[in-house]
Amino acid sequence: MNATLVLAFWRQRLASPIRLVILSLMVLLPPALVSAIRGLSITSLGDAIPLAMVLAVGMIGQDVSSGVLQLILARPVRRSEYVLSRWLAVALGASAVSLLQIGIFWGLSAARGAAPGFDTVAQFALGRELQIFGVAATMAFLSTLIGGVGDLALYALIMILGGIVGMIGQVRHSSVLTWIGQEMGAFVSPKIEVAQLVAGTPSWFTLATYASNLTLALVLAILILNRKELSYASG
Amino acid sequence: MGIRVEGLSKSYRRLLAVETVRALNGVTLEIQTGEIFGIIGPNGAGKTTFLGCLLGFLRPDSGAVTIDGHAPDDLEVRRVTGYLPERLVLDRWMSGRAFLSYHHALARLPHAARAREVDVALEQVGLAADAASRPIHRYSRGMLQRLGLAQALIGEPRYVFLDEPASGVDPAGVVLFRRLLNEVKGRGVTVVINSHQLEQVERVCDRVAFVSGGRVEAIETLAAGATLARVLRVRALSGAFDRAGRDALETLARGVGAQLADLAAAQARFAVADDDGAARLVAALVGAGIPVIEAAPEESRLERLFLEPPTATRTPPTP
Repeated sequence: MNATLVLAFWRQRLASPIRLVILSLMVLLPPALVSAIRGLSITSLGDAIPLAMVLAVGMIGQDVSSGVLQLILARPVRRSEYVLSRWLAVALGASAVSLLQIGIFWGLSAARGAAPGFDTVAQFALGRELQIFGVAATMAFLSTLIGGVGDLALYALIMILGGIVGMIGQVRHSSVLTWIGQEMGAFVSPKIEVAQLVAGTPSWFTLATYASNLTLALVLAILILNRKELSYASG
Repeated sequence: MGIRVEGLSKSYRRLLAVETVRALNGVTLEIQTGEIFGIIGPNGAGKTTFLGCLLGFLRPDSGAVTIDGHAPDDLEVRRVTGYLPERLVLDRWMSGRAFLSYHHALARLPHAARAREVDVALEQVGLAADAASRPIHRYSRGMLQRLGLAQALIGEPRYVFLDEPASGVDPAGVVLFRRLLNEVKGRGVTVVINSHQLEQVERVCDRVAFVSGGRVEAIETLAAGATLARVLRVRALSGAFDRAGRDALETLARGVGAQLADLAAAQARFAVADDDGAARLVAALVGAGIPVIEAAPEESRLERLFLEPPTATRTPPTP
């Protein structure tokens, strides 16, 4: 990991006014709405994927297509170090934003006398953190495949294709197609049921899928970037 | 130990295309430590590919590049390398000072010296304090180029690779670049310059490789005499050539191995074999009592390389 790269990435992401506005709305609006409506629980805050996406889109591809990566890699920085630093920067940044959102929700709920218990909040927060670290790895991989913010289009394509394949599998009662659809879904939307973990009844298959997807995505991202030629002469 | 390039070849295959484009074809040369080495050639000659291979950004099909005996992408090499790309895209959201601090940190240079060394680098390239605090997206092209050069020179690298360093820079900036290059040369830094600005290359480089069709066609040692024929334009005081007469001038030129090309009132053009021939001609003219006030080649030596692709006069591509 390279702290200089992590810090520079955060500064770069926060230097965009549009991104700041989107993040602010995402942090403030859902907690305000969910805490205001009776009967809704903390889980109504939803997945953390949109939060991670705001920071993750173009995390590597933008540097490749702009040419900034050449200047970085002309320094004593390993390509693997660059990929892992980008992944960590997205994951830690999105985690902080997610925790801030949960904190605001808890504060607003507490002000209305309906604060959820610590266990509930902790389990929800942990589930989101795991999801963020997983999706950040997926985006790191996709971002090495395509320049600019094309990784977002790839992400959407895999999600849609996964849904379609899974649906066809169910309609045709094909366990193989259903499984493929589920795996594609797990790749773009990694998730671990923290409640099962806490209860001592974890789904080992889900855990293994999560760990292997995260590892595979990062290894592939490093391999692809290592193979990439960084000169416009090769473009 | 310098830079060694042996049998370097590189081809590109475009997406869905059957044939490959050969960008480099068996390039072999050596760049000595402390040398300022230029790469010139027409568009599509393979210069950028060559520089990409020297920097370890491109993987050659065959052959090898070593810098101080290491592969060019070795971290030991990266620690002593500075690079200014042609298509300069900087982190536009940073200020100039923050950008240099960022690269100082990426170069793993001591934090304690950061502020001082960044200030020195900014001063070296003539970026004033207020400009250094400005976001990069407000920089002019010339300021960007200066900042890019400061970035390449930060931490006093031993190898500097400059791709079109004076592109978009005003005359004052060009003079500054030349001064900086002379300074780094004085420190024993090895500089490789890829440029189309032949006059600048001729002024700063010790040797220049002329690249064409993926090959090094010639290496010109600029410190030594020109090896290529050229036309010398000689001006004399008004009426001096008329008084001498065309026949006398032709005889005088032949006597020193030159040839009178044409003659006007105060100007004559002679074809000379090389620098020595030019010097002999001027000496002969002065010796014959012709008041020469100016003698200048019509093209610079590097322009000549472009205009007359070397064949018989080619020098072997070794130092």
